Amino acid sequence: MNTSNIDYADVQGTILRGYRVNLARHFILQITDAAAAKRFIGSMVDGSPGVPQITTAARWSAKPDYFLNIGFTCVGLGKLGLTSQELATFDPSFQLGATNATTAAKVFDVGESAPGNWIGGLSDGNAVHLVLSLWVTQDPAVLEDKSSVLRRLFDTGMKELSSHDARALNDNRVHFGYRDSIAQPTIAGAPPRKRPIPDDQPVVATGEFLLGYPGGYGQLNPPTQPTALCKNGSYSAFRILEQDVQGFEAFLTTYAKQAGIDPEMLAAKVCGRWRNGNPLELMPNQEGAALPLSQLNDFTYVSSDQSQDDTLGLKCPIGSHIRRNNPRNEAVLGAGNLSSTHHRITRRAMPYGPAYDPKVPDNTPRGLIGHFINGSIANQFEFLMAQWDNTSSFVMSAPGTNCSGGNANSNISGEDIFLGVNDPSSSSFTISTCSNGKATSTTIQGFGRLITTRGGAYCFLPSITGLQYLANLGEPVG
Amino acid sequence: MSNSNAPTPPNPLTLLMPVVNGTSVQTLLTLISQNQAAIDAALTNIGTVHFARFLVLDTSVPNLQPASLTTASNLVLAVITEYDGSFASYISDFVGQLAQVFNALLSYVVGGSAVVPVQNNPTAFQNFVQANDASQNPAAPALYCAYPYTVQTILADCGSTASGAGA
Repeated sequence: MNTSNIDYADVQGTILRGYRVNLARHFILQITDAAAAKRFIGSMVDGSPGVPQITTAARWSAKPDYFLNIGFTCVGLGKLGLTSQELATFDPSFQLGATNATTAAKVFDVGESAPGNWIGGLSDGNAVHLVLSLWVTQDPAVLEDKSSVLRRLFDTGMKELSSHDARALNDNRVHFGYRDSIAQPTIAGAPPRKRPIPDDQPVVATGEFLLGYPGGYGQLNPPTQPTALCKNGSYSAFRILEQDVQGFEAFLTTYAKQAGIDPEMLAAKVCGRWRNGNPLELMPNQEGAALPLSQLNDFTYVSSDQSQDDTLGLKCPIGSHIRRNNPRNEAVLGAGNLSSTHHRITRRAMPYGPAYDPKVPDNTPRGLIGHFINGSIANQFEFLMAQWDNTSSFVMSAPGTNCSGGNANSNISGEDIFLGVNDPSSSSFTISTCSNGKATSTTIQGFGRLITTRGGAYCFLPSITGLQYLANLGEPVG
Repeated sequence: MSNSNAPTPPNPLTLLMPVVNGTSVQTLLTLISQNQAAIDAALTNIGTVHFARFLVLDTSVPNLQPASLTTASNLVLAVITEYDGSFASYISDFVGQLAQVFNALLSYVVGGSAVVPVQNNPTAFQNFVQANDASQNPAAPALYCAYPYTVQTILADCGSTASGAGA
C-alpha cells in the first residue's frame, strides 16, 4: 500500500502534526440530544459560517490561530447510533474504556489514581461521550472567543461536564523542569516536522498511528464496521496527569545525597535527559549548553563501537524515563532490538497549572494534559504503562562490551520514576556504573508516587469522512 | 512491579487443537520441521518462552501415540510451552513474528481457518488459543517450577550472551 498517498485533508490534524501552541482547552462533553449533537458535528466539518472547523492534517499556508480536534468514547459512538455489533469491531481496549476496572488495573490507575477519584466528570465512563480539544497559538482572546462560540453551539445537543485549560511554560518546559516534546515517532507517509529533530530510529509503519494502513508487522486489522470509520482515524488515551513538583524536588534533594551524586545529575539519571533536554547518552557527565535540534535526538543505546555502547546503562540508566518508554535499539522482550518500533506513542500533551515557585510553595494542581495517540491502545499506550513503565523484567540479557560482570537485565529495577505506582515499600531505581572495569549498581528505594492520574478517556478520532458519516447517521431505532 | 531478579514463575500453555480429518501425521511433522528454525529464531527474539514443543497425538489410541505417519484422522496437534508474563500483552509480537508458521499450521486445525491470517486477526487468534489451552481450564492442576526466574534473568545470571538481539 502506498502510504505516501495519505489524504491529509481527511485526517484530523493532531494525529499527524504537532501544533506548536501556547494555550489549549479540552472540553469533556456528554451527548444530551443525539440529533442536535450530530448537527453540531456536521457543522464543524462542512464549512458552516461562524463555526470553528475541525483541523485536518492538510498543509496550511498561514498558521491558523486555533486548532480543533474531536474524539469520541465508545459510549459516545453508541449514543450517536452505532450498534453494539458495530462497536464490537473497534479496538478492544477502546470498547472497555478508561474507567473500566480491568483497564485501570492494567495501566496502574490504582490507589489515588483510580478512576473513582477522577475530576471533571471523567470518573463516570458512561457519562463521557466526547472530548473536544481546542488549541490556540498564543492569544487568550482567541481562546475565549472560540470557546464562547463552541459553547453556544453545544446548545441542547451536548452538556459540558468540564473544561480543562493548558498553558505552555517557558522554553517548552514541563512542571518537573525538563524540556519536553523532543522525540516523536517518524510515521511513514506523514508530513515532515517543521523543525526536524532527526534520529536514527526506523520510520514507523503508518498503521501504528493511522487506521486502514499496514502496521509494523505488515498486518492490516479487520476494518471497523461501518467501513466509513475504518480509514484515516486513530485512537487516543486522553490523560490528565497531576505532577507533585514539591515532591519531586524533595526526592532529588534526599536521594541525590543517598546516591552520592548532584541533584541535577539524579534528575538526569531518572529521566534520561538533563533538564535542558540534552540526552545523557551524548552528555553523560554534565549538562552542558543545550544541543541544537539536529543533535538532541541523535543517539541510540547499543553500539558495536565499544566506546559508544551503552548496553549496560552506564550513561543513561536502563530504567530512566525516556529509555523505558522508547528503548530504541536496546533488546527487550517481544521483538529483540526492534521492539521499540512496535510500541511507539505520539504525545500531544501540554502543562496545566501555574509554574511552581519553590519560594512560594503552593498546592495548586499542576501537571500535564492531553492526548497520547496510537493505532492500537493495547499495543501502544497500555503496553507502555503495563510492561515498560511498571515492570523491570522486560530487558533482555545482554552483558555489554565495556564493563565486566554487568548485564542489562540486572541494571533496572522498580518502575518508572514518573509514571510508576512507586509504592514506597517496593519502589526502586538503579544507577549503574563501571568501577575499575567492574560493573556496580547503586539502588535508591523508598520514594513515593510523583504523578497521579486525575482523569482519562479512551477516544476514537474519526477521519473527516468519518465525522461526516456520524453527522448524517440515522437516528437509532427504539 | 518488581525487581527483575524477584521470583516470577512462568505460565503454562497446553494448546490442544483437533486436526482436520484427512491431514496425516507426516504432513504435520514435515510442516513443523520445515519451520523449526524460524520458530526457534522467533521465540528467541520474543524472549519470554522457556520451552516449547509440538506433539501430534492420536485420540483413537489408548496412549495417544500415532501408530503410523500416514494416520490421518482423530489427530490432535499439541503446542506445549512455559512462558513468562502476559501472553495477551505480547500477542501482537507472537502473531507478527510467527504468522507464517501459525497460518500454515492453523489451516490444518479445526476452526483454524477462521482466524487466518493471524496477523490481521490477533483478537480472534487470542480467543482461539484461550479456548483450546487446557492449562487455562480452572480445573487444571498448577504448574510445578523448580526455578521461578524469567528466561532473561536466567540467561543473565548464567552468563550467556544475549540471544535476543536483532532480526
